[in-house]
Amino acid sequence: MEQPAVLRTDGLTKKYGAFTALNAVSLTVRPGDIYGLIGRNGAGKTTLFKCVMGLAAPTAGTVAINGESSRLRAERRKMGFMLAPSFFPYLTARDNLEYLCRLKAVRGRGEAERVLSLVGLRGEKKPYKAFSLGMKQRLGIAAALLGAPGAAVLDEPINGLDPQGIIDIRNVIKDIHSREGVTFVISSHILAELELTATVFGFIEQGALLREISREELRESTKKTLTIDTDDPQKARLVVEGMGAGDIAQNGSALVLSSGAERAGLYARALVESGVELRRLSAEETTLEEYFLRLIGGKSV
Amino acid sequence: MFSLIRAEVYRLLRKKSMYVYFCSLAAAYALIAFVRSGGFNAESIVGDAVNFLSLLPIVAGGFIFTAVYTDDLASRALPALIGSGMSRGGIVAAKLILAAMLGAFVFGLAPLVPYATHAALGFAASGAVMARIYAAALKFCLVTVGYCALSGAAVYGLQRATAAVVLYILLSLNVVGGLLAVLLRNALGEAAATAIASRTLSGITDRLLDALVGSASALPPLVEFTAYTAASVLLSAALFYKKELEF
Repeated sequence: MEQPAVLRTDGLTKKYGAFTALNAVSLTVRPGDIYGLIGRNGAGKTTLFKCVMGLAAPTAGTVAINGESSRLRAERRKMGFMLAPSFFPYLTARDNLEYLCRLKAVRGRGEAERVLSLVGLRGEKKPYKAFSLGMKQRLGIAAALLGAPGAAVLDEPINGLDPQGIIDIRNVIKDIHSREGVTFVISSHILAELELTATVFGFIEQGALLREISREELRESTKKTLTIDTDDPQKARLVVEGMGAGDIAQNGSALVLSSGAERAGLYARALVESGVELRRLSAEETTLEEYFLRLIGGKSV
Repeated sequence: MFSLIRAEVYRLLRKKSMYVYFCSLAAAYALIAFVRSGGFNAESIVGDAVNFLSLLPIVAGGFIFTAVYTDDLASRALPALIGSGMSRGGIVAAKLILAAMLGAFVFGLAPLVPYATHAALGFAASGAVMARIYAAALKFCLVTVGYCALSGAAVYGLQRATAAVVLYILLSLNVVGGLLAVLLRNALGEAAATAIASRTLSGITDRLLDALVGSASALPPLVEFTAYTAASVLLSAALFYKKELEF
């Protein structure tokens, strides 16, 4: 039997007066996903998480966690989350986690130490107020992993981190996902980072979920194109069409093939042998950022 | 709710500033008593102790209120509580229970400060003297818990620590009660104002203290106090019910 979705929203809507922060958002996070929620600042990512975690009441629509939409409070207990690192400044990392262990009724001694080890903070004695931003984010992730939840929601976990910090957090998430099978829902407006981490992408803009797409589907949508710039595009088109290339667009003197980048060498040889002057031959891949910009109509992120 | 109380007790026990603060208060009392030492008798000790206890709703109660209620706002922990599956009503109730527990702890120990101080200065208070001091401690403990309950509405309704602390201070300095009395006196006359004033938190606990040291029944003021705090909890829960949490 298929496992229920870890998180499912159906027509989730949140309005503040005349402003619609979420507009009928229906998303599905399946067990094992690293779901990357992509959107600009103010697109509705945090509002969506607020509704999921019970911090804001939706105007309409439903939320279901692990297939349950009626006993949400009990299901929220089973889910880890990091909305913004929020800890008591005078407590150490361990004491803050012990507090949360008691709050969530997490059984088992050493759970705080276990999750601190996962994020590389074990043995840290400083109070939280003396932590760097990277350490705070790590502690937030550790808190989300208390009690070995099946899923964790992380809102902007790499916000404000330096490049090394971003790499560290990425590795932590990927490691925990592969070793412990934790499903992650991660929001970010740093697309390049989500591109390296997520297995499923949801694109949100002005409160509406524009598209949900798997990594494979995204790869298919953003696969490499081959640009062939020659002195005679008509002749070049005949040559490559003769070799079986299809879906060819022309941009000035350049032909853009939507597929076949792996055959670039064969095309080059055939064109040269047929007397066409080859000016440029390049394989290009659409990035997640370009894909997103295309999706939202070219507005900057 | 009990998991939150357990977690909060764990947190409060590790709040070092709390120990420093309360030890400083005790030391300040001992120092003042030492400076004024000489000629102690039962009445002067009760007087000194009650004066000391009467200051505690503001100086100790303020600390209790911030430690229990507004630390959550400062550290943005409220979303964590809700996100952990706590009910909002449960949070409000748990916080009041915690304030009462911490209040009972502080006001339970507070009479020992004058006792130990005066014993060290050569005057050991009798059981009767200590009973009068503990009766006063109970009154001021209830006042503190009541003010915490009332100010808690500002915590959950406004989610602003400063506003909540200011409200607590105004209540404990009797600024709110004083203003209310003036307004009532002007609007309804002296007799009505006095009657209503006896139904305020301060009036109720005054009657409770009178009952404890006299022979009247303490039950009516205790029932009124319970109704007061229950109404405050319901108000807080209602304000908090669908309040969006910021973080």
